[in-house]
Amino acid sequence: MNFEFTEDQVALRDAAREAISRQRTEPVPGTAEHNPKLWQALAELGALGLPFSEEVGGMGAGPVEAMVVAMELGRAGARTAYSESLTAATLLREDDALGTIIDGSRLVVPALFSPNRAWSPTPVGVRADGDSLTGVREPVPYAAASPAVVTTALDGEGVGVFLLDEPSLIGTRLDLAGQPARRLDGDAALVQRAVNLGTLLLCAEGLGAMESALHLTVEYLKSRKQFGVPLMKFQTLTQRAADMYTSLELARSAVYFLAMTLAERPDDATAVSRTKVIAGKAGRHIGQEAIQLHGGIGMTAEYAVGHLTARLTEIEHTYGDTRYHLTCLARGISAHGALDLVS
Amino acid sequence: MERGLTPQEQQFREEMRDFFTTKIPQDIRDKVAAGVELSKDDFVRAHRIMHVAGLAVPAWPVEWGGQDWSDLQRYLFLDEMQLANVPAPLAFNANMIGPVIAAFGSQEMKERFLPPTASLEIWWCQGFSEPESGSDLASLRTTAVRDGDEYVVNGQKTWTTLGQHADWIFALVRTDPDAARPQQGISMLLIPMDAPGVTLRPIQLIDGGHEVNEVFFDDVRVPVDQLVGEENRGWDYAKFLLGNERVGVAPTGWIKRKLAAAKEYAASTACGETTLIEDPLTAARIAELECDLIALELTVLRVAANSHGGKPDPASSILKLRGSELQQDVLELIADIAGTSSLSWDVDAASEIPEWAHHATPVYLNFRKASIYGGSNEVQRQVISTGILGLKG
Repeated sequence: MNFEFTEDQVALRDAAREAISRQRTEPVPGTAEHNPKLWQALAELGALGLPFSEEVGGMGAGPVEAMVVAMELGRAGARTAYSESLTAATLLREDDALGTIIDGSRLVVPALFSPNRAWSPTPVGVRADGDSLTGVREPVPYAAASPAVVTTALDGEGVGVFLLDEPSLIGTRLDLAGQPARRLDGDAALVQRAVNLGTLLLCAEGLGAMESALHLTVEYLKSRKQFGVPLMKFQTLTQRAADMYTSLELARSAVYFLAMTLAERPDDATAVSRTKVIAGKAGRHIGQEAIQLHGGIGMTAEYAVGHLTARLTEIEHTYGDTRYHLTCLARGISAHGALDLVS
Repeated sequence: MERGLTPQEQQFREEMRDFFTTKIPQDIRDKVAAGVELSKDDFVRAHRIMHVAGLAVPAWPVEWGGQDWSDLQRYLFLDEMQLANVPAPLAFNANMIGPVIAAFGSQEMKERFLPPTASLEIWWCQGFSEPESGSDLASLRTTAVRDGDEYVVNGQKTWTTLGQHADWIFALVRTDPDAARPQQGISMLLIPMDAPGVTLRPIQLIDGGHEVNEVFFDDVRVPVDQLVGEENRGWDYAKFLLGNERVGVAPTGWIKRKLAAAKEYAASTACGETTLIEDPLTAARIAELECDLIALELTVLRVAANSHGGKPDPASSILKLRGSELQQDVLELIADIAGTSSLSWDVDAASEIPEWAHHATPVYLNFRKASIYGGSNEVQRQVISTGILGLKG
């Protein structure tokens, strides 16, 4: 059991931190926008291909390394399609298109959300007849950047995976009817595997965002004066900051462990659900308290902390929220007695 | 980063599991499982079996019977012990005064006290808190005045856990009332409970049990060779004592076992046409508590794996806080599962209600102590906010 980064992982973290700080743009409220310069910087770092084999153009590293990059994105408050791209790349497997994703020349995102429908990895309401799809996906992430799209659909046999090279989108809405699509070699198990990796990366990005939110809050409590004294003189505030730290460190343990787990068992959906719950609760707690302990400044668009909370909220709602994952876990509680994490 | 145990660690774990599940008498383990108060004899039997196997005082220096274990081995030892419903070696001996004497006592004191402390021939109790000194321990008022080769001790201690079984007490006393800071005038004395002038009075708690006591000192004469280390250094020893334990602070094995029991209890409690474990809110509550526990246990493992002898991972500061909260959460869950079956605390042969349900409420009430003792959770938050976050109030 070892929770420490290797030297290579620390070097990757530092390189990612440096590249992100150079290319990031100031956060703005609203739907995430694609930043091609930052994207290219990530590609040059090899970050877009970290967990994929060298034969397909990847780096031959694993989920732990991808987690390291995602944490840095979260820490910097840089919204990117990182989780989306690695999810899509997992769905593409060894397809020819994979190389162009990894080298950053083409943005491919998963289109797995259905409008007015709670999250499910099963594409209810999206049908396939051969390569011909019907149904609607919305919202498609980073739609304004005209990405290629990987989506899923049900046919008579089960779940199929489809690539749409040049989908026609209206806003973030993708009506699949009549759009050229190509069926890939994939099924429900592959979708779960891809979503597992995507969820890890979202949790890792959230962990970075939580770290920054706490850091900003602590610095604010030290420097902001009211009633003639720094806010840190008020225990009603510092005790709450201590609770934020507690939530952060619990989430860190869980996210690190999930990365190690997926490196060995990429299909372990239970491990993913547990971590999404832990990180989801921590993200809510830290995000909300970070704004509250800042007071009014935390509400403003020019200050970072509210954007971190907004991102944590997006992450909570992607690939199943805390309710969804608790529901999954609750179904399985009788399948084991005492927990055993180390075997 | 690497998940899982090495083959050696796996083997160590299996040895521990084998020992605790086969060598500790079943009647003791059954009592622990049911939440029944253990007798002195139960504690002594379990402790001595562990002592003979070299497992009663693993955290001590090897020359005094300790084991040269890694923090991860220590975690595995505790985890298996708690999962098997085995009562821990007496904490006052194994985790508190033993390590203090081993670190700060004279050679003579070590030879006199460490062997009987390890074997539980001496049962120790702790004399720290006083009626006016709870979280503000350094304000303690019990005095020890030097008179020739003796100290004369006067004052009162309280919350003395299992003092009714104790042979000796290790007490913090004020030896220099004029010290610049209250912490600087404190010493640690070892006092026999049968010394003239020592009186013990039980305190009944909200669970109806007798677990803690008041101890009064009335002109108690204590030979100076029962002073631990140096005079007026008692505060340092007390801090060492309280900060000595890293991985054992959060009893995750105990919580895991209770949570597994809670699932069995829920599955055996009828609810409508099914059982409580089929009830969506109960199932979700259990699932959420499992997640909370996983996050805590992984943090314990992280601290254990990252502490290479020297400075512990700062995340260790959250273990007492979260460990006590989750102990309380799981007992609250069990009491709620028991529901109306918990309303009668009395176990009698005619009852159809299982023993655990009769005990559920008193055990739940008893463990409200967990967030108060050993540095209340508010003190723990203070330690985090000042020591880790640098928020100097």
